[in-house]
Amino acid sequence: MNIAATPKVAWSMLAMLAFAVNAPGTGAVATAEEASRTDARPAREALAASDSARHVLQRFAYGPRGGEVAEVAREGALAWLDAQLASGGEGDPRLAALERRTPALALDPDDWARRFVAVRRAAREGMAGEERAETRELLGQVRALVVTRAVAAEDQLREVMAGFWFDHFNVFLDKGADRYLLPSYVEDVIRPRALGRFEDLLLATARSPAMLFYLDNVRSVAPATQRPARGGAPDRPASRRTGINENYARELLELHTLGVDGGYTQQDVIAVARILTGWSMRPPARGGGFVFRPGEHDFGEKVVLGTRFPAGHGEEEGVRLLRMLARHPATVRHVCAKLCARFVSDVPPDGCVDAAVAAWRASDGDMRQVVRAIARTPEFWAEGAIDAKVKTPLEFVVSAVRALKAEPDSSARLADAVARLGQPIYRQPSPAGYPERQEDWANSGALLARMNFAMALAAGRQPGATVDLDAILPLTADRSALVDAVNERVLGGAMSAHTRSVIVAELADVADPVRGRALAVGLALGSPEFQRQ
Amino acid sequence: MSGMMNLSRRAFLRAGGLAMVSYGLDPLFLARAVYAQPAASSRSGRVLVCLFQRGAVDGLSMLVPHGDGHYYKERPRIAIPESAVIDLDGRFGLHPALAPLKPLWDEGVLAPIHAIGSPDATRSHFDAQDYMESGTPGVKSTADGWLNRYCQHQREHEQTPFRAVSFGPELPRILSGSAPSLAIGDLRAFGLRAPNDAARDRITRAFEALYETAPTGLLASSAQEGFEAARTLRRIEPERYQPEHDARYPNGRFGQSLLQIAQLIKADVGLEIAFADVSGWDTHVNQGAEQGQLATRLGDFAQALAAFARDLGERMNDVVLVTCSEFGRTIAENGSVGTDHGRATAMMVMGGPVRGGRVLGRWPGLEPAARFEGRDLAVTTDFRDLFAELLDRHLGASSLAAVFPGHAADRGRYLGALRA
Repeated sequence: MNIAATPKVAWSMLAMLAFAVNAPGTGAVATAEEASRTDARPAREALAASDSARHVLQRFAYGPRGGEVAEVAREGALAWLDAQLASGGEGDPRLAALERRTPALALDPDDWARRFVAVRRAAREGMAGEERAETRELLGQVRALVVTRAVAAEDQLREVMAGFWFDHFNVFLDKGADRYLLPSYVEDVIRPRALGRFEDLLLATARSPAMLFYLDNVRSVAPATQRPARGGAPDRPASRRTGINENYARELLELHTLGVDGGYTQQDVIAVARILTGWSMRPPARGGGFVFRPGEHDFGEKVVLGTRFPAGHGEEEGVRLLRMLARHPATVRHVCAKLCARFVSDVPPDGCVDAAVAAWRASDGDMRQVVRAIARTPEFWAEGAIDAKVKTPLEFVVSAVRALKAEPDSSARLADAVARLGQPIYRQPSPAGYPERQEDWANSGALLARMNFAMALAAGRQPGATVDLDAILPLTADRSALVDAVNERVLGGAMSAHTRSVIVAELADVADPVRGRALAVGLALGSPEFQRQ
Repeated sequence: MSGMMNLSRRAFLRAGGLAMVSYGLDPLFLARAVYAQPAASSRSGRVLVCLFQRGAVDGLSMLVPHGDGHYYKERPRIAIPESAVIDLDGRFGLHPALAPLKPLWDEGVLAPIHAIGSPDATRSHFDAQDYMESGTPGVKSTADGWLNRYCQHQREHEQTPFRAVSFGPELPRILSGSAPSLAIGDLRAFGLRAPNDAARDRITRAFEALYETAPTGLLASSAQEGFEAARTLRRIEPERYQPEHDARYPNGRFGQSLLQIAQLIKADVGLEIAFADVSGWDTHVNQGAEQGQLATRLGDFAQALAAFARDLGERMNDVVLVTCSEFGRTIAENGSVGTDHGRATAMMVMGGPVRGGRVLGRWPGLEPAARFEGRDLAVTTDFRDLFAELLDRHLGASSLAAVFPGHAADRGRYLGALRA
């Protein structure tokens, strides 16, 4: 199918029909629901079922597991996505086992806070401290878990969305107390709401000590004249520090909600910062949890985006503000455009964003409905969108491990590999999170490093993962048959004729079938096709 | 050489050039291809080396204000004794551990700058480093670093994969952005890995073949740049490099980074921007005085810089090296015989084009009334004015407004760090 040659009038129909349909000769059967929707389609012009399956698995999952494309092609791409959307996250014994073997997950926020206090005391006294080494080990587990969950989870969409929201509401592991606040931020704030309502997520991040510390809201204190006459929070006398800090307010508007072109002014930033004065955290020695400090709050009148917040209100005006921001049309459009950039194209197509916005409005920001709508737009299924995005290092490593059905161990070695490819997990200092566009990831040194990773993984030499190629590929001296199997089982059918011929030629003088197979797999994982999704 | 310089132009033509526009494919690839326009650089061969002392170095120990009585009053246990200071101009002197740099001062190719820092008063390492690398103090959402923006807007430089190189495993914020730049942990290990040369050549050829198809756009051009870089490095044989003029680099990552920068400069591979960082300056506890923790780090630092200058010899005429750190430390020592996070620090510029042998900047003084918030050395030079001068006068940058948005370029604020 050549897009450029397709008349514009046929576009919408063609694209509408394109999802989850089956090309002739694949022998796959559409589900009843799909069949009814795809009546009278010109099958010749539709995507092959395997391409549809690969597309959803590359966008709404961390890539297909070895051989999974064929399974999903039989089931139907949208049927697979609907099952993901319907899943409640239970009944995943593999993931449960993985989480059980991770001691860091057994710690609660109080445990982490105690650790923070102990390590800080040891550092002040110039001692190494056992807690320090232990904490490093525990944080290694926390980073490792990002990779292992993405590899193993049955609920792939939930993992993808959890990653998306962490980047949207990024915090930085190496900023002071965030080292100890981040684990609970991930487990208790982001993950449970990954497929929930945007407003709930926004409110939860705004109340999270990890965010309030990261963006300095804990330092934002109303000027003395604006504080209550008998000031003083119950657990602490009115602070000596004064002055608002605009960091969180600015990023809340620019990154979390309205977007940089969302129509707010510096006066709005200041007003938002004043409304959120007092949103703070307890000292780590007292658990480090969220606390509202009336003694630091600015009780004066404020105006945000033309809306008046009358004098005399405390914590509740912050909640009112966040609810207002969560529903603001600029917010809806900004977040929908980011979702479309993640799922469809680096430059999100308008039609797709419009559909996402409509679904958001109809569902009050229910992410399941928004994702569902995006997956049903013509833009998502446009041929130009298939295999069009460059994988991030995390997506590359996880998709490679999944493609080979390799078993990650409990160490942080795969997470370290992701870091060496340029994306250290939880270590993005910028509140904008890791970028989504290809130019941020396609640099030359990192690409060579990906090729090295591909070869090492295929040969079973990559620390952190156990590979058994016997489980997914035949051992054969027939080069053509081998490369076809690699294309089907490892690349999900994405291999170009050129790549196929290069790999076949490279195998010409490799007599040992075990070496030949590893070489073919390594070249396939390092090929341009596998850098894309 | 010319074969390598033309790499991206070739890649571009190979990929079908402007024919791609009609497909609307990969505009970024096209944008990058623009970098490969024929070279018209008037200043080829000039290099800027930027070194980041992460962790906030104590500028008052690097460049000791031994003429200021408050210095000794506030630091009874960690001040550098007058007798140990290497005096420069009667008011300021070098830490004794920086002795290897004194000959460079004497030759007039080293200029320290005091009381320099960020207009943003944050005392968070993370925020302050972020601002110094984005080049936009107070603005967190800036996507790219200022060194990368320089490369984005200064495109007439000859295109080579080595134009902007960071020495370390990851590309730092200061060099991240849409202009191509390379992170190299070790020149000797760059490229594809294999048990032996024959195997490496073979696997490299295979991957080159995989990526040579047109038009896979950005991935293809980036990969080809990577292969070209690896090939160039094999040719210059980094494992056999011997520093010249008896230069002795200290062991450790930082010394090796400087050694490799010198090597790339001498190999004439088109290096224009080099970056390396070194940590260990966050001396809250037991900082030491003429000896101790900080002295050891400073000694290593100075030895590496001195070896670099010695090794490069005449080539230092094309090189300006600048050191920076996110902020300085408190004037007064703390209860743990160390110092806490402060405001201004000291930086240094070094190289043939430097108008050295002078201490630059305006000294605000250490008396309590002159301090920032009553405790810290005040900032009298915005770090962007120093960096802007180096980009402008050394590299010939023509688009400083885009490199430092929100900070109007004003040559009147330059420190006069470079010879006219």
